[in-house]
Parts: sequence; structure tokens; C-alpha cells
Amino acid sequence: MRILQLTAWRAGMLSVAFVCATAGTAAAQWLSVPVPGTPRTADGKPNLTAPTPHAADGKPDLSGIWHADTMRYNDNLLPRGTQAPMLPWAAELYKHRVDTRGYDRPMTRCMPHGVPDAMTVAGLPFKILQIPGETVVLFEEFHKYRQIHTDGRQLPVDPDPAWYGYSIGRWEGETFVVDTAGFKEGSWLDNSGHPHTEALHLTERFRRINYGRMDLEVDVNDPKAYSRPWKSDTLHFLLSPDTELLEHLCENNRDLDHLRDFSQQAAPSTTGKP
Amino acid sequence: MRTRLAILVCVASIAVSGRALAHHSFAAEFDETKPVKVTGTVTKLEWTNPHIWFFIDVKEPNGTMSNWGFEMGGPGQLLRAGWKRDTMKIGDVVTVEARRARDGTNHANAQTVVLVSTGQRLFAGSSQGQP
Repeated sequence: MRILQLTAWRAGMLSVAFVCATAGTAAAQWLSVPVPGTPRTADGKPNLTAPTPHAADGKPDLSGIWHADTMRYNDNLLPRGTQAPMLPWAAELYKHRVDTRGYDRPMTRCMPHGVPDAMTVAGLPFKILQIPGETVVLFEEFHKYRQIHTDGRQLPVDPDPAWYGYSIGRWEGETFVVDTAGFKEGSWLDNSGHPHTEALHLTERFRRINYGRMDLEVDVNDPKAYSRPWKSDTLHFLLSPDTELLEHLCENNRDLDHLRDFSQQAAPSTTGKP
Repeated sequence: MRTRLAILVCVASIAVSGRALAHHSFAAEFDETKPVKVTGTVTKLEWTNPHIWFFIDVKEPNGTMSNWGFEMGGPGQLLRAGWKRDTMKIGDVVTVEARRARDGTNHANAQTVVLVSTGQRLFAGSSQGQP
């Protein structure tokens, strides 16, 4: 109940924040920059309900600056009222993370969110650059990036594990399907703390509904952490028109000391994993 | 005036950002059940990521002075809401309502900031929806 209340509050306040963001930045030339090619209404405002744009190759173009429409997915990737089919060790670790209020999230140490939750931090947008052979995702949070190769290559057979893994993408009709594997352990699938192992394989399905909205569904397959594959909630992203990403480097992390004090009170996990 | 008003209204949304950014767990660092309200003079403003911090000198009931630090969202979130880095200046006297750090130090997550000289609510967060 407490989580639901927090979530509703966050969602409401974030909505206000984004209304403000679009209304109060006319004088800020970096924050308010007319983006060429943006469809506009008669009064010159971005037409966010215009049709999905398409690239030169005829495929939908996902390019743009996006943000999640709520922090709920960041809190918990699963649809409301559902639970991930965690193996016992994963369930124990997850419970520990929930019980200790997520004090030791990777972000506490200025490590970034992972896949897909780096896209779900509603207050920190991400930018998609769709170019021939590659789609690049730039995350404002901590100034990170992710590459999704669309040049026909296959996933690496024996990859050196990586925080964001290795991603290849292809089009199935209007849907951009991204397969990612080769993950390093360490990232959490969401802030609740759903864990994963190096065996994680994600399939993301992006669909740009119109100019201003994009949806994503994620298939999570990690046989070493979950008894069967499971699906995320449908994540909704909204376009931030006529603006730009801002720098977000972890230059002044004052929180760590306070959280360290909390960690000394928290019971250690018995799984051997932080 | 309209711009000023818009800023004041918009900053009301920013109090949440210390929680919404998910850089760290709010619940593990701050205690919802420990509100604190203090008035003091701004001594330092760290306009930095991942969080802005500002510090004020507070005269305690026993007459001694102490320095308090308050966390807000990051510069990007405040800029997008109409703040500038000089919206709050060193020397301003402010009243801050916040949630105190669990470790008992003079640190807290700011919920509302009111400029004492004018009564303007520089930075305000609604208690609506709080657990």
C-alpha cells in the first residue's frame, strides 16, 4: 500500500514537472531549441499526435528525446499485481533488497541503471539516434550510452560480460525488436531489485505509436534466476519536443555516507550477493 | 511577474525529484516520519549532480549555531522547472521544511523552501500522497 501511495504521488508530481518543463523554459535557449523536422500545429507548437515519422529506409524512426510517463516501471518492471517467477536464491535476494529499502542500489555508487530500467527514470530523459546500421541510446543519467546494432551481425558467442550487454536490433513490421545478451551481473532490473545473472537474455519490442508516444514491452529470460521467462508491463514513453539533454555527471555524491550508515543497521543477505 | 509566478508554481514540483530520480533510495536515507522545519541563512549552494545541496546556518533554541544541509533534485530537473542557479542566493534567509536523514545528522531532503523576506515559496512540495 505504501509503495502504491508513493508511486501515485510520484506520478502526479512528475506530470506537473513535465508540464512545467514545457511551459517555463521559453527563455532557456539550450532547453528550448526548435528541432527541425518536428511536425507542428497551426500555432507552431509541436504536434505530438502527428503520425509516426519514418526513416529513409521506410522503417519507423524512433529518434527523439523520450521519458517514461511514470516512475512506476522504475519501481517495479512487472505489471501491477504480478510477481516474477524467481528461483529461491533470487527471491531471497529480492526480499533482502526490498526489506533494506534498496539502500545498496548500483546508482548509490554512481553506477547507472541497466537494461531496460535506464530508460525508466522518468526525471532523466534519454535520446534515441536511429542511423543506418545502428541505433544509439544516449542516457542523460550519468552521461551513458547504449548501442543497438542493426547491420545484420549476430550476438557474440562468448562475450566479455558488459553492464548493458550486447544488443542487435531488427524490424518486424512496425516494431523494433532488440535482443540483448552478454550481461554482467550487478545491475538491477528495477529499483525494487529484481536480480539477474550473466545468463540474462532480454528481448525488447519498441513501437512508436505516433510522433509523441512510444511503447515498449520486454521479455525477460534468465533461467539461472527465474523458473520461466516473464514479461514486463507495457512501458509508455513520451517525447520531449524542442529540447536537449543536459549534463548529468555524478560529481557530488553526498548520499553515500548517509546510506552507508543505514547499511550498518541492515541485516546482510545470506545469498552472498550484495 | 507572470514568469516569476510560473517559476514559483513550477518549483512546487521539484521537491519530488530527490525521490523520483532514483539515484538513491529515498527511504533508506531519509525518514518520512521525521519532519524538520528550520529557518536560517544560506551559506552554500552546490549546484551539482546528481543532487543539488544547499546549506544554511541555523540558530538553535539554546543559542548556538549549527549548519544544516538539504538535498534537492539535480540541476537538470530544476532548470527544466524554471530555476536558475541564482534563484536561491547565499545570504537569503529561508525557512525549510524537510525530512531528516535517518543517520541523525543535520541533513534532510527539502520539501518546501520559503524566502523569509518576502514569504515567497521558492521551493515547495505538497504533502499530498505522502505515506
